[in-house]
Amino acid sequence: MTTVAVARPVERRKLPPQVRRRRFLMVVANYSFLIAVAIAFLAPIGFIALTSLMTTNQALSPELWPHPFRWSNYLDVFRTAPIWRWTLNTMMYSGLATLGLLLSSIPVAYALSRLRWRGREIAFMIVLVALMLPPQVSVVPLYATWSKFHPFGFHFVGTLWPVIIPNWLGDAFSIFLLRQFFLTIPEEYLDAARVDGCGELRILTTVVTRLAKPAIAAVALFSFLYTFNDFFLPLLYTNENPHNWPLQIGLSQFRSLHQVQWNLTMAATLLVMAPVVVLFFLAQKAFVEGVTLTGVKG
Amino acid sequence: MRRWTGIVLATLAVGATAMGAAAQTSSKAGPSAAAAPAKITIWVGWSARELKEFKGVVSEYDAKHSDVQVKVVGSINDTKITNAIRSGNPPDVVSSFTSANVGIYCGTGAWIDLAPFLKKDHISLSQFPKTSLYYTQFKGKRCALPLLADSYGLYYNKTLFAKAGIKAPPKTFSQLLADAKKLTQRSGNKLDVVGYDPFWGFYSGNVADMTNYAPLIAGKYLDSKGKSILSKQFAWSKLLRWQKSFVDYYGYDNLVRFQANADEFSASNLFERGKIAMLMDGEWRVAFLKAEHPELKYATAPMPVDDAHAGLYGAGSVNGTIIGIPKGGKNVDQAWALVKYLTTNNHALARFSNGIRNVPSTRSSAKSKELKPDPRFATFIKIFNNKSSLTAPITAAGNANLSLISQFTVKYQAGKVKNLHSALKTLDKQIDAQNAQAGGGGPP
Amino acid sequence: MIDASAGAVSRPIARRRGRSRAAWRRRGLVLLLMGPWLAGFTIFFAYPIVWNAYLSFTHYNLLSPPKWIGLANYRYMLHDDPQMWPAVRNTLWLIAVLVPLQVVFALGVALMLARARAGVGVFRTIFYLPALAPPVAATLGFVYILNPATGPVNIILGHLGIHGPLWFQSPAWAKPSLVILGLWGIGNTMIIFLAAVLDVPRHLYESAELDGAGPFQRLRWVTLPTISPVILFSVVLGVIQALQYFTQAYVAANIASGQADQAGDTLNHLGYPLDSTLFYPVLIYQHGFAYFNMGYAAALAMVLLVVAFAVTLVIVLNSRRWVHYSGAVR
Repeated sequence: MTTVAVARPVERRKLPPQVRRRRFLMVVANYSFLIAVAIAFLAPIGFIALTSLMTTNQALSPELWPHPFRWSNYLDVFRTAPIWRWTLNTMMYSGLATLGLLLSSIPVAYALSRLRWRGREIAFMIVLVALMLPPQVSVVPLYATWSKFHPFGFHFVGTLWPVIIPNWLGDAFSIFLLRQFFLTIPEEYLDAARVDGCGELRILTTVVTRLAKPAIAAVALFSFLYTFNDFFLPLLYTNENPHNWPLQIGLSQFRSLHQVQWNLTMAATLLVMAPVVVLFFLAQKAFVEGVTLTGVKG
Repeated sequence: MRRWTGIVLATLAVGATAMGAAAQTSSKAGPSAAAAPAKITIWVGWSARELKEFKGVVSEYDAKHSDVQVKVVGSINDTKITNAIRSGNPPDVVSSFTSANVGIYCGTGAWIDLAPFLKKDHISLSQFPKTSLYYTQFKGKRCALPLLADSYGLYYNKTLFAKAGIKAPPKTFSQLLADAKKLTQRSGNKLDVVGYDPFWGFYSGNVADMTNYAPLIAGKYLDSKGKSILSKQFAWSKLLRWQKSFVDYYGYDNLVRFQANADEFSASNLFERGKIAMLMDGEWRVAFLKAEHPELKYATAPMPVDDAHAGLYGAGSVNGTIIGIPKGGKNVDQAWALVKYLTTNNHALARFSNGIRNVPSTRSSAKSKELKPDPRFATFIKIFNNKSSLTAPITAAGNANLSLISQFTVKYQAGKVKNLHSALKTLDKQIDAQNAQAGGGGPP
Repeated sequence: MIDASAGAVSRPIARRRGRSRAAWRRRGLVLLLMGPWLAGFTIFFAYPIVWNAYLSFTHYNLLSPPKWIGLANYRYMLHDDPQMWPAVRNTLWLIAVLVPLQVVFALGVALMLARARAGVGVFRTIFYLPALAPPVAATLGFVYILNPATGPVNIILGHLGIHGPLWFQSPAWAKPSLVILGLWGIGNTMIIFLAAVLDVPRHLYESAELDGAGPFQRLRWVTLPTISPVILFSVVLGVIQALQYFTQAYVAANIASGQADQAGDTLNHLGYPLDSTLFYPVLIYQHGFAYFNMGYAAALAMVLLVVAFAVTLVIVLNSRRWVHYSGAVR
């Protein structure tokens, strides 16, 4: 015979006032810390924005608030520097690099995750090693080679091509991310396709690619971000050719081209930061996906 | 799949054409057909107003020569020049402000030897002043010609002088220090007006390699064998110690703060704004002042000299822009024609000299009637022609020697050097090592 | 069930041939898929490293062919180069100071954020966004903000009665200024820590609470051990980034040194002020692409390669511990 226990409403024992007070103080402390850090993080942007609206002389003075607000600074930036040219260069670089990177990395990641072959683990380790070594270890010979290589009189040094082309032959970070994602695809999907008579290539291009859309979006996003922010390699290859400068190089030279117009420089700085912020808000999901794809777990 | 292919191909096509178009404009122009004018490019260091003046001179050349079209690119520095030459894609003509690098340019053959061209066109070198001839060749190989010259002297603010009751500009270092102290105004710890700013690295006058002070102290960098003698000649350590005590008078930090936001080549120049009473600067400042702050009441004079060498007064540091033809350029003959015009044509030199107020670099153009006289500018022509005026030494390592010295002087000024004499000895050794290996191969 | 015994004798040969054909096809497929990466790795990674080793024994300025000089570059590097050891010290400083500070700060913020209820999304966005800012833009902004005379930071400090330091103009404060810039950008690390902290199983906390553990003890004995692989991963990633640290140092030195690129300035701006921001990658750039002593730069790069490779080995050999596998085809 079973006895039905009468369900008594769960009594929440009220905590003693000291504990409640201590908990409340900790919550306050917690939020104060967060708010303080948030203010510290927002302050630089605030100062940059305020300076970008000052007149030239005011930006050189110890004043903090613009008097008057010169919104025309943002237009002046476009008039004093070839911002559109730089943006075009950056977009070319990002677009071509991202495209090439995806096309060449997806097959590699697939081979490293869903096919069995001898040497697979070693190959993956080599990919990781290539990912982690500083670019400085290979720049000198690469630059020397590119500078001596001019077929049909076309000079690669002075353009962004030496920076773009390696992406068409695989990119270690993208391979890593995509492999992590492919590992999570249940084998059943692929088996179902195999049973249907699909060859491995068909599986890759149809089934896997469609399943991996979020990962591909994340990789494309990271690639865009990386190429947008890239400085070192474009500096090496386009430094003496202002026509081909991407945005970051142009921004770093903005000050020396136009002496100490800090107000315009700060306006240019904000303009260069803006696309990234906008992109973040539009593609938050892809960001999160990308971070979790690195697979770093406790 | 077909959609993908389409997108891929379209992106590639767009990308390739755009990049190709970009590359077209930057790649070399090949030899032209008979009708079309040859396009040559010249790279110069000038920018903004000075670049405009230069473009004016070049446009006259363009108008006179219908078979050639010259494109001028400004804001070039030596790194860009050497980059372009090394990558095999140089312009046709280059010009540089760093005459000290002529050791590298001539020594490595980066700029081609001009002797055959000079001979072919019967150009006599005697029309160029001796000093300018010195900094356009290395070990007898002439790979450059002077294109207007520079000399350094003292600019001083007449209004501030009157307020401080100083009648005449200082002629010796001790007078300079005394006047500077009288002219300095502070509010609390902050410097409002500085009498004279001696900070190494501050503006062109105080280039940290000490080249602009060398003529004032009769300082020599190298002995007759080409070895560095900074530690052997007492004048150098005397200068360094004097300069450091001068900086300490203001306070190192105070000077850094004072200098924080004042670009040399803009209207916020500290002397032009009246925040510095005396400034050592090149002759070009006359033109800048006229364009940016015509209201400033100033005068010019030779720089004060070391008390022990008072007889040197009237001398100064001398330098200049150099122009040459890089190795690997395509239109060498047209390039030489342009170089010849810019460096020897009296009208071109006079017009350019008037425009940017640099010293004319040939004897005949210096006497040209087209030159617009200006008493404040005349000081610099006198300094340039003074027989005790000196220029920086030319060595195989080029500018690298001067960079080493610069790194040392700023360190000393910051108080980071314990024993000046032994540190100078080490510096001499490093410079000698640099020079020994620069030509013959080996580490820097 | 089909009786397979009858065909058992003739099957083995056919099966072997079939298997090897399938194996060949698979190898071909792998080659096809891995092909681009194999080519890229060889051309843009393996070959340059080998060539770099060769160049390190030569004097090479791109104007004339490389000239063999044996160990002269290495001798100069270890004995005579006045900037080599400062550069090494600076990079080590970065590893010893910037990396731990970044990890601790990111962890601290993540822990606080994990405990918050309301407004977490807003805070998370505010903390993450600066990490997205392009390094060049962020550095430019900070050089301006930390301008000793007219920058907002010193002005506000002045109002509070504190005499602000010279920041990027002072050799003592230039690296700490870069640290502040680095702390502004810890968003990525913080997000990873946040995810890890939120992933710690609740029951571990509950059992610790039952054992009487207070909040700090829970942190020390439950949270930290559980997320320690992530912490370790972040530290190693930080070290790798410190070994490549270039952009911020380059931009800060150029902008803070103030002078425009005019008038044949002989003072090399890299490392301004007084070599305090001269990190090892910046030194390589200086010799390779400002002085064009490519042989010497190659020698410097070889040393960096050895160090970075050692660090990389540590990660790769331990990667199984840190990186979660799931559904792998074993």
